[in-house]
Amino acid sequence: MKRVGLVLLVANCLIGLAGLAAPAPSKWQGPAAELAEQVAGIVGPGQVRLTIRNASSISTDEIPKIRTLLEEDLKAHGVLTSGAESANAIRVTLSENTRERLWVAEVIEGNQRQVAMVHVEPEMVRQAQAGTGLTLRKQSVLTTKDPVLAALETGEGLVVVEPEEIVIYSHAAEGWREQKRVAIGQRKPLPRDPRGVIVPSRGGEGFEAFVAGMVCDGSYAKGTMDGGWTVRCREGDDPWQLSVPLSLQTAATKQSENIEVTPLKAFYNSSRDYFTGVLAPSLGADLPQFYTAAIVPRPAGSGSLAALLVNGIDGKVQLTETSVLKPVSGARDWGSDFAVLNTGCGAGAPVVASGSGEAIADSLRAYDLPAQEAIPASAPLAMDGTVMALWTAPDGKSVLAVVRTPANQGAANEYEVDRVVASCNE
Amino acid sequence: MNMRWIVLSQAAMNEHPTPSASSGQALATKIQAWRRWGTLCLLAALALHAEARTRPHYGGTLRVEMEGDAWQQNVTQAGGLGGPMARRLIFDGLTRVDLDGTVRPSLAVRWTSENSDRRWQFWLRPGVHFQDGSPLNVAVVATSLTGSCGAACPWTAVRAVGSSVVFTSDSPMPNLPTLLAGDDFSIVHFASTGADAAPQPTPLLGSFVGTGAFEAVGFSSGVLTLMANDSCWEGRPFLDKIEVTGHKSIRDQWLDLSLGRADLVEVPAEQLRQAREQRLTVVVSGPASLLTLAVADGGVLSDANLRAAIALAVDRSSLSNVIFQKQGEITASLLPAALTGYGFLFPADRDVNKARELRGGLTPPALTISTDGGAQMQLASQRIALNLREAGFNVQVAPPGPVHHADMVLLRLTLASNQPQAALESLLRGVGVGSPVVEDTSAGLYKVEREFLQTHTLVPLLYLPRAYALGGRVRDLSLSADGMPLLADVSLQDAP
Repeated sequence: MKRVGLVLLVANCLIGLAGLAAPAPSKWQGPAAELAEQVAGIVGPGQVRLTIRNASSISTDEIPKIRTLLEEDLKAHGVLTSGAESANAIRVTLSENTRERLWVAEVIEGNQRQVAMVHVEPEMVRQAQAGTGLTLRKQSVLTTKDPVLAALETGEGLVVVEPEEIVIYSHAAEGWREQKRVAIGQRKPLPRDPRGVIVPSRGGEGFEAFVAGMVCDGSYAKGTMDGGWTVRCREGDDPWQLSVPLSLQTAATKQSENIEVTPLKAFYNSSRDYFTGVLAPSLGADLPQFYTAAIVPRPAGSGSLAALLVNGIDGKVQLTETSVLKPVSGARDWGSDFAVLNTGCGAGAPVVASGSGEAIADSLRAYDLPAQEAIPASAPLAMDGTVMALWTAPDGKSVLAVVRTPANQGAANEYEVDRVVASCNE
Repeated sequence: MNMRWIVLSQAAMNEHPTPSASSGQALATKIQAWRRWGTLCLLAALALHAEARTRPHYGGTLRVEMEGDAWQQNVTQAGGLGGPMARRLIFDGLTRVDLDGTVRPSLAVRWTSENSDRRWQFWLRPGVHFQDGSPLNVAVVATSLTGSCGAACPWTAVRAVGSSVVFTSDSPMPNLPTLLAGDDFSIVHFASTGADAAPQPTPLLGSFVGTGAFEAVGFSSGVLTLMANDSCWEGRPFLDKIEVTGHKSIRDQWLDLSLGRADLVEVPAEQLRQAREQRLTVVVSGPASLLTLAVADGGVLSDANLRAAIALAVDRSSLSNVIFQKQGEITASLLPAALTGYGFLFPADRDVNKARELRGGLTPPALTISTDGGAQMQLASQRIALNLREAGFNVQVAPPGPVHHADMVLLRLTLASNQPQAALESLLRGVGVGSPVVEDTSAGLYKVEREFLQTHTLVPLLYLPRAYALGGRVRDLSLSADGMPLLADVSLQDAP
């Protein structure tokens, strides 16, 4: 058995060495051959002077290789580049534009100049991510052309809150299949960046959704008409429920069997798109007006089970713990969305925050919050567009992000609901 | 962050005086060291508690100032030097060109082409209303588009079909979605004038409405007032109001900005360096407008050699270095080099000897050069006239103001898209060449450019950026592909 294993190992090594010995095909081979063919078609067999100018981001180390390829390809078409005294000249410029590389050959015969061009596909540059304590990964849950404000996976389907409709998807072989749309029925115009929240109902089989000036309740009952879902929306300025991860509820219940976890709700100013700072029930501290809040489990011995992390409309990130508001440092790179993730990798639960950049492609990054300082706990996870919303899944083990991806020509933007999970680095 | 604190602390500790220094010097050094220590602590504390980025705030008034007339230059004319800043806030097109130059849906949600781009169908976005409350429908769209270009439209016919608008043409229209994003094709609706129509602030402002994020509600004492459209299909804008004040010199604009009386002011390309020296927060576009010399091909200049001589005699370097303070990108091609990669194939060097040779020893009658731009364009015209005189031409610069006839006109053409094919067609349309650009390869586009430029009726000179200086409370300002500020997405940091 051991000998067989050894033989296989040697064979693998040999295959590997053989692979190393064979020269890999150069990425410039194709364009060089194409350009040489076009040039030969213009100049015909004979001797020419060849000059190459690099006006692109191609490394100068690559130029001799490109020159060799061009010379060989031209030679194959009967064009010899050794003619230093030849009246015919080929001036190749390795150029590029905003989309691709462009190789241009100017074929000069006396006073006449003709031009040949070939496109060279740009290389895909992938940057390795720095190794840190956690690795964030994302998986797509849903892609839709309609804007998504929030989504909730229940045992019976996926409920998506759109600016003007609640959409219910059911399981299907190919993924989620749209089952039902219910108009929310707003009478007031929406803000420019509408927001929404959806949380499971107390029983766990329904949901409660909040959008500006409206509250929707959904319930599921098996065996009823219309797929089992009943959704009712009404006008209301009820405070929006902040999501409490199930893990935290369980921890609270474990600590005292008599404890009942009261959902924390925040009053929302629908015309200005932020929370007013008034909570129900009150935490005892005067909270600022804020855009985002998340309930953060606190480490044992800190004197409290949880704290509330808020992102004020002035950009200050603060932690409300034991009725005291404390500033959080290290949050300068945060965007306006964050959510708590229960990774199971350590004692705490990191906060996943969107990036503060204004780039088309956003990123998410996990931060530990052991005291009042946010410390990066993962490398940034590049998203495929702009993060529009971020919240903790009901089980607390993942966060869900709505990402707006740039539209393709002739089509609208796409919205992707991504599940982001963390794995512990070995 | 902790590491930074430690490094700073150590640096500060190293500043402490040595015991060998005299007592007076030691005290002074100690005070200095503690001052530095305090400053470092303060800086470190500021760094530690720097604020995170927030969602944009709603509310507030953005104050914009410009050199041109706030109304004429923005709303009633699509073109113009200052650009159609407010026009884009009031009106929408069927499509729009995004920041990366890609065509995106706007009032049309999707479109398809048939018959080799000779027939295009655009489906309208449902549920959109004009600022006067009337619904957007295909009949209004067809009327608006027909009225926008008359006989010079890129299409032969436009008609309503169900919830869509269909464009047809005898020749292919491969760039129609991009062209429809242009200001010329904004969807304009004449406001309701019936008994139930809301009273309008002024007859001029009330004459037409759009579907955009802002509504023009007043124009008095040179100030155009735009109010947020609460029922905008894209959502209410963050700002409550925008006030555009016209007829302000650049100097006054910058003064108002520094005194907090303006939030967004213009920075001409030639003053970009000065703005930076004054530490203004400047947002600069990429190449946005093409400075070009249009040369008549009739009369004296019907001789192609004379036009070629003019093209060779112009000194682009002096225009760039002297008039535009090295802020322009010299070009002899219509499209910027960054967009095509083949710009170097069009030589931009001046050749006075060749120009004289082409002129053939003849001294043509006096030529006139004019421009409809401001003082800088007038200076540029004078510089070109000087170049041409050096090549043996007799050139007069027309005084500022409207000119009915000139042999040469110095003008700026807007680069409407980052897509070379559409941008080229748009530029050519800007000088009255209506034929579509069907070539989509670099070699094909080069051929179109070369063939057109060989007529020497247009001499590309410089690509110039657009730039604006911002006040400290302005957030999220970005510029469109053609360098115009996108104010619908701007918010104010100190909004209530």
